[in-house]
Amino acid sequence: MTLATEFEARPMPRLLRILTILTVLGFAGTLVLGLVAAGTDIQQGAVQRLFYIHMPSFFGAFTAFGLTLLGGIMALAHKNEKWDKIALAGVEVGLAFALINLLTGSIWARPIWNTWWTWDPRLTSAAVMCLTYAAYLMLRAGIEDADRRRNFMSVYGIFAFVTVLITLFIIRIVPETIHPVIVGASPQNAQGSFEATSGVVMALVPSLLLWLTVMPITLMWHRYRLEERLESLNRVKLKALSD
Amino acid sequence: MMIRLYRTLAVLIVALLALGIASAEGDEESVPYVQASGFNAPVLEGWADLSTDEIAQFHLAEAEATIRTALAAGADPPAAARSHLADWLGSEIGEPAYSDKVNLADGTWHSLVFDIDAATTASVMARQDDANVVLISFVETSPDARTIMLTLAQADDALDNATPEIGLALDRMAGLELDQLDEAGIVDLPSGEWQVYERDGLSAMGMVFGNDSYVALQDGAPADLARLADAWNRTLLGFFITPDNSLYLALGLIATFGILGLLILSYFWRSRSIQRDLAMLNALAAEED
Repeated sequence: MTLATEFEARPMPRLLRILTILTVLGFAGTLVLGLVAAGTDIQQGAVQRLFYIHMPSFFGAFTAFGLTLLGGIMALAHKNEKWDKIALAGVEVGLAFALINLLTGSIWARPIWNTWWTWDPRLTSAAVMCLTYAAYLMLRAGIEDADRRRNFMSVYGIFAFVTVLITLFIIRIVPETIHPVIVGASPQNAQGSFEATSGVVMALVPSLLLWLTVMPITLMWHRYRLEERLESLNRVKLKALSD
Repeated sequence: MMIRLYRTLAVLIVALLALGIASAEGDEESVPYVQASGFNAPVLEGWADLSTDEIAQFHLAEAEATIRTALAAGADPPAAARSHLADWLGSEIGEPAYSDKVNLADGTWHSLVFDIDAATTASVMARQDDANVVLISFVETSPDARTIMLTLAQADDALDNATPEIGLALDRMAGLELDQLDEAGIVDLPSGEWQVYERDGLSAMGMVFGNDSYVALQDGAPADLARLADAWNRTLLGFFITPDNSLYLALGLIATFGILGLLILSYFWRSRSIQRDLAMLNALAAEED
């Protein structure tokens, strides 16, 4: 038996294949709803359509970072590498989603707020969240010992989730924000608010559900499998060296 | 078991998409705006809507008044206003009886008044917008009255009433002093609180919004000046142009596809790297064998 057979013996599970197809079709479908079916906001113009990606991408990051939190707790409780891999996959996918959230927000803000960036509480907390999870990846890469890495990164992943909660709730806590709120009344200083009309709901709800559930889980599963293969390769390398 | 799960997921997504579309179809919002080509103007309740794809136009028959919003090609707002009125009313338009500039939140507007003939008076607000001129016109065609709408910068922006500007408008358009009219109190309209001055056959009213005063004058047979002034003011302040920011939308989509693409590509790169390492290990193992 060659070394490769260990890898080739694990084809992509059918559920993951189905989820991948659903993600691609769902992503295309929600783009059509947001870019074509939903009406143009007469005050903000075409750039308002970024909202159908901006808000769902944050909630996608929320799911991914939430699974990192869960992975961290379970990895600490069971000393299990599988949960640690889930936590890592959550950080990579969540960080990508959070960057999409941050960038689309900044691009929207340029024509609406007349600035790419402002140190608003919501924007600042979102940036801190991104930096916190980027630091997770850098720190993780710097720890050689597997047990130490799992324990340390699990604790880090649990505490990092505080930044997600702060980002989620800060506009409800700090009234001096210009970031609009869609569900409920916007803060007094909010700029660029719009009503959740039926057209907005039509485009937003499917997108929100896709980014919240199917997309992060699918991408994380792929990332988990990749990590498994990498781990197997490392084992094979060690074995080859010891032989 | 698995197949049931796939089906459930697929049905769930299709149902959500259908639910979204159905909810939009069943609950269409009614926007109180006329969306003509290139701009939006508020719908005036109680006025006959004569709008087309090119203009927003409302007519109040009992006052013989029309408010029209339009875009005209040109680089000279007063000239564009005269040309537009000439085309619309089919009359020769002379020099304006009043012409001044005023800075509002969306740019510098020309406030113009044309006495077109014995019956017709036109008040126009005109502003340059790229290659076009935005024209908001109030035209009153009653032979028994002369109605004028003016927008003036506040002489003293600490004041919360338009008294000085009402006096200025009376002086310039009717040759009267403010103290020749009686103060008739304050009228509360949807557009705000208006101060009213009256004398036999002459009404003047004004309100402050921002650092500008909006003044309405009517000379002749009494009509509902408050209703006209309110409609004019709501058209003026409610008018806006939907910005063309589709390039920012494209930039946002590029960022989204770029980040997702990089993430997915990194999976492929790392997977290929694993394959390469494995192939190398296999080759080394084969050499050793």
